[in-house]
Amino acid sequence: MREGIYDVYEVFVQHNKTDHHVHVGSVLAPSPDLALHVARENFLRRDRAVSIWVVRREDIHATSYQDPDFFARETDKTYREVSGYTENGRLWRMFKQRMMNIEEVVEDMRGDDR
Amino acid sequence: MATSTLTLEEIREQILQDEQKAAFLARIERGEKIEATDWMPDEYRQLLIRLIHMHGISEVMGCYPEKEWVPKAPNLRRKLAIMAKVQDEVGHGQLLLRVAEDLAAPLNRTRDDLMADLFVSKVKFHNVFHMEARTWADAGLIGWLVDGAAICTQASLLDTSYAPYGRMLKRICAEESFHMQHGESICLALAQGTAKQRAMLQDALERWWEALMFFFGPPEMSEAAKKMLVYKIRTKTNEELRQKYLNRYVPRIQALGLKIPDPNLRYDETKQRWVYTEPDWDKFYRIVRDNQGPKSRERIELRRQAHEGNRWVREAMTRVRARMTG
Repeated sequence: MREGIYDVYEVFVQHNKTDHHVHVGSVLAPSPDLALHVARENFLRRDRAVSIWVVRREDIHATSYQDPDFFARETDKTYREVSGYTENGRLWRMFKQRMMNIEEVVEDMRGDDR
Repeated sequence: MATSTLTLEEIREQILQDEQKAAFLARIERGEKIEATDWMPDEYRQLLIRLIHMHGISEVMGCYPEKEWVPKAPNLRRKLAIMAKVQDEVGHGQLLLRVAEDLAAPLNRTRDDLMADLFVSKVKFHNVFHMEARTWADAGLIGWLVDGAAICTQASLLDTSYAPYGRMLKRICAEESFHMQHGESICLALAQGTAKQRAMLQDALERWWEALMFFFGPPEMSEAAKKMLVYKIRTKTNEELRQKYLNRYVPRIQALGLKIPDPNLRYDETKQRWVYTEPDWDKFYRIVRDNQGPKSRERIELRRQAHEGNRWVREAMTRVRARMTG
């Protein structure tokens, strides 16, 4: 048995409970438990976090970079996006009103002031 | 480190002779980034391993000049800060060796091999880490000017064609911003200090200046370095980086009332570049290639002792893993 033959664990850090875990890199470790410790030492010497996931690299299922067709977008998708509705601003102005955006609605709904 | 007379265009032409390499280079020239799992020419892999392995080992060896100052730091805050910095360097070494070992895996080389290469001089580390850190001013100057030089190099590598290296460098550069402030803080304090403290800082600058000029490498680059430019593993020449470094640091060094120990150093307005005395290239090649620097042997021996001393832990961990995976 050769020493130092460890597994690669991919590391995902959750900085805040309102955020998802985000992939930050990988570590080499002999067990999941140690992978968690090494991940903390390597990636969280400064940043705060509430949770770390480590996943053995071989347990990850991924798309291939060699198959860009998997992500092909043959058709125009602007009808799904804000950018497809720039016309609204001009129309609202005709009705003497201003267009809203989601950011200001969110800010309004979360704020205390009325 | 033989310089090469080939131009970048000639090297590019050589690569284009091979159909597979030409297709690969076309990807890079289109601005595509390469991943560890992509097909790559063997020479691209070897160049990356060479660069990232050396970078990783240099981070690890970079701990030694500074760790010598942890027990002797002038106060608790300075001790905590320099300890944190040493810890960062070890961390960066681990992240970079991780990138290197993914590249070396098809060649059946593991982390342990990459570490052990140091003990048989199969991997080099930066010239600056072979030098002595004689006083606290040296510790400060390393943080300010040596890390400054390393930051310039690393920042230029953020645009590398090899994506996993670029991603890791992003994280490393973010942490280096603390190293920059840390080194500057020590030097600024000494520059405002007593005549003795200012003299200490001046002495340290005189010890380190030539090594700093060597750090970026010769203006005429090796064939490997030129290939790295063609494959966009790196995007700036040695001289471009040195000039940018001088632009940034010379005025600041002078502002502290320090005298740079090079009578020929000046900015040539007509050529729009810094003129300087070339370091003794051969002396530093010997230091880097043959580990003949004032502190090379001692620090490699310390590293070897640490590696051997921890062997029982690695062996125990390997047994744990074997039991877990049945």
